[in-house]
Amino acid sequence: MRQCISLWLFALLAPALALAAPNPKLAIPSFSALAQKATESVTITLDPGLLGLAAKFLDSNDPQDAATKEVLKGLQGIYVRSYTFDKDSAYQQSDIDAVRSQLAAPGWNRLVETRSRKTHADVDIYIMVDHNQAVGLALIASEPRQFTIVNIVGAIDLDKLHKLEGQFGVPKLDIDPSKGTPAPSK
Amino acid sequence: MSKDIESQMRAALRAVAPSEEFTQKLVANVTSRLPAPPKPRRFAAGLRPLAWWFSASLAASVVLAVGVHQHLQQQRLQQSGLEARREVLEALRVTSQKLNLAYEAVKSQSTSLTDAQSGA
Repeated sequence: MRQCISLWLFALLAPALALAAPNPKLAIPSFSALAQKATESVTITLDPGLLGLAAKFLDSNDPQDAATKEVLKGLQGIYVRSYTFDKDSAYQQSDIDAVRSQLAAPGWNRLVETRSRKTHADVDIYIMVDHNQAVGLALIASEPRQFTIVNIVGAIDLDKLHKLEGQFGVPKLDIDPSKGTPAPSK
Repeated sequence: MSKDIESQMRAALRAVAPSEEFTQKLVANVTSRLPAPPKPRRFAAGLRPLAWWFSASLAASVVLAVGVHQHLQQQRLQQSGLEARREVLEALRVTSQKLNLAYEAVKSQSTSLTDAQSGA
């Protein structure tokens, strides 16, 4: 009887608990108007099924593919929106704010914030950590003629991300895997 | 007199069971005169190879259809897989490009800070 009551309670509370848990998946707007204006646009939506399928087509004998496969193992989704324009200020800051406001939610921590006066490129990197494990990453890069939003959902193993350094042009960010934050620059 | 004739006639016309020999002859005669029965077996025998070919071609068609369907499905799956792979690599390329942007900005900031400190 007790078990039955516990099960009922769990069934009733599960949706509430799920809602209360921080969600590393961002609700990215469609940006359809911007896509029409853009000279080049990249829209990538990879859910767990497609990530699994992609992993099957990565060659384990190829070092780059093998490293990518390792990174993909804990991931549940990769979402990329990138728009390039042929003139400056083709997009409004408010276009990005819809996404940026979601990163103010509890659970998200700003990992890196850069503002370049030289290139006028702003890059913000946010990470969501749960039980000392990075479960989500968000990157917003806004440049005069381009803006990019990247959202990676799932257990991001920073050790494995390190292995990608030098491949795809991934720089050495000096990320301390134990803390999930960048180590002080040397 | 007439009674005699009558009784003789009755005796002559009484129902008598035919002899065994007569029955056999009659049956043999009737059997030989019967028209030849139709030959459905021959007809069925003529159809048999046709039915066999029909069954065989039907089975071959089913096998072929299943094979083609599986091949197409496999091809579609492969295309989706390769497309997903391309998208993963593209996503990582875009991500790393932006990480580089952040890295360059952090590096130039720390360089300028170091320069300012050494200048002071």
